[in-house]
Amino acid sequence: MIEVRSLAKSFPVQGRGLAGWRRSRASAGAAAVRAGDGERRVHAVVDVGFDAPDGRITGLLGPNGAGKTTTLRMLAALIAPDAGTMRVDGIDVVARPRDVLARMGVLSDSRGLYPRLTARENIVYYGALQGMARDAAEARAEELARMFEMAPLLDRRTAGFSQGERMKTALARALVHDPSNIVLDEPTNGLDVLATRALRESLRWLRTPEGGSKCIVFSTHIMQEVERLCDDVVVVAHGRTVATGTVDELLAKTDERDFEEAFVKLAFAAERDGAGALS
Amino acid sequence: MRRSVAAVLIVLAKELRDALRDRRTLAAVLVSSVLMGPLVLLAISGLVASLESRAEQREVYLSGLAHAPTLRNYLERQTYAVKEAPADFEAQLRRSTFHDPVVLVPEDFEAALVRGDVPVVEVVSDSANQRSQASTARIERLLGGFSRERALLSLALRGVSAQILEPMEIEDRDLASTQTRATRITGMLPYFVMMAVLYGALNAALDTTAGERERGSLEPLLMNPAERWALVAGKWGAVACVSMLIAVLSCLSFLPGQWVLRSDTLQAMFQYGPREAGLFILLLLPLAAALAAVLMAVAIRSRTFKEAQASSTIVVLAISLLPLVNVFDLGGEAPWHLWAPALAQNTLMTRVLKGEALEWSQVAIPLGVCAVLTAAGVWYVSRQLHQAAVK
Repeated sequence: MIEVRSLAKSFPVQGRGLAGWRRSRASAGAAAVRAGDGERRVHAVVDVGFDAPDGRITGLLGPNGAGKTTTLRMLAALIAPDAGTMRVDGIDVVARPRDVLARMGVLSDSRGLYPRLTARENIVYYGALQGMARDAAEARAEELARMFEMAPLLDRRTAGFSQGERMKTALARALVHDPSNIVLDEPTNGLDVLATRALRESLRWLRTPEGGSKCIVFSTHIMQEVERLCDDVVVVAHGRTVATGTVDELLAKTDERDFEEAFVKLAFAAERDGAGALS
Repeated sequence: MRRSVAAVLIVLAKELRDALRDRRTLAAVLVSSVLMGPLVLLAISGLVASLESRAEQREVYLSGLAHAPTLRNYLERQTYAVKEAPADFEAQLRRSTFHDPVVLVPEDFEAALVRGDVPVVEVVSDSANQRSQASTARIERLLGGFSRERALLSLALRGVSAQILEPMEIEDRDLASTQTRATRITGMLPYFVMMAVLYGALNAALDTTAGERERGSLEPLLMNPAERWALVAGKWGAVACVSMLIAVLSCLSFLPGQWVLRSDTLQAMFQYGPREAGLFILLLLPLAAALAAVLMAVAIRSRTFKEAQASSTIVVLAISLLPLVNVFDLGGEAPWHLWAPALAQNTLMTRVLKGEALEWSQVAIPLGVCAVLTAAGVWYVSRQLHQAAVK
């Protein structure tokens, strides 16, 4: 169970003068820049909030630069928020980050593996860092390999792995300690149809009581992903949560039949709101 | 706390395994550090042996041998083999294909000698041609002997005592012990050992910091419930281990290296036994630890391995240049030498080679400096770790 309330985060603008301002505008996408007497800041996340209950898949949907990755990084205690609260199974992320990380499996934006280690060694290393005994971590690696259909890969070094194989290894690594909360940042990036399907199946299974009724949060900018997989959708744009609900609820809200149209409508509304954020 | 210590060990074990799997890099570093001892000694002993054999050869090359029968007679009486120099000896000396100085005798040498004029004899060598230069002094002494003999004979004919020519006698007394003299030749050994330690630490330090960033594996690593300092301490431990291993191997490599010494004189002068090897290792281990931490601190700010290589150049340069203060003997030994990393180790290792005793107070200063550098480096990396992961 993950609860996020009124989360905000801004970064100082890198570089000086107009060039620096342009650069940060370009890289932060929709983020707002405050021009004042003081330091210029990029507001990556202005007001994001959502609830992700156990046994459901919650999708964080938003255009590039909407603040999804920053939100998930804050949730993983990688960067500290300026304002707002985050609780995982009732534990405050800022106050007890390590307790939270023990209950959460995160597949972040960067998912680099150690190329000179085998897939198994990569997975067991994270298990050990999570405080698991070696035998337990080994057994869990086998189990995850079966779940993600990667058993033949286990004892190969990851140096020559394909995108899909890397992704599976990274996911297995994130789930090695059998966390009750799973956070995935654009997990289907770079995956082909078959790998995407396999991933989708795995996530559906993890949601079921047999799979452990996990609380799954995943961010994406792909409509079909959300339509096919998510129980709840949180639309994020310009660093704000602009709408929440099931796919059907959002369709009803925007009076659209096509989810893509509904999303554009919501995001377009956010665009106008976003203009107001430039203060 | 126990959990953190466990995390340190887990990271240490993984990083070591990772480093040991990097066979190609490891092999290059290990081979160069292990072979270095014998190779350096071989080169030095080759040089010394050739100088010695040249000195023993007792050969003199004259250009214009026919013009100087008197000189030839004298040289042969000194049991020297007198040979005619090749016609193009000047060019050969410049090219370093001819390794003996040549005595150039003018055509009217004999006549001038008889007339009592002072004929000029040139000793031709090339100061860039080290071997020819080495024998020049010997040849000049020999020619000086000829002059003196001629003078003595003339004086004796006139009934004058030979002592008039030498109212004072000069004798050399060298204070240096055999070992101290040897450090003039073996003085660069500590330098080679330190370079091996530096390059041993370099690759591993860059790989666990900038390399981890470049691979995108730092961010997921930080999503484990381990303390930051524990992660950094584990990484540092692994880098320090690799670097220390190389320090130990290269110090030990000089032990069998002694067997290849061809020159007896050098073998007698170069005292490097288990005691010296042990002291070398003792001095180098803290340096290896400090270098690991400092290189990691420099590299953590770099996004890629390549960028890190560029920014670590300054450290590499400092460590390579500081010991040269000793090698070039700039202003003798000063107290501050013991406070500069690398220079301090070089100074103390040179003392070990000279056979001087080390005082604990002297060892404590560089040890303290290395401890401070290590702590500062590890602290800085832990502080930068999160920022580095998300940028």
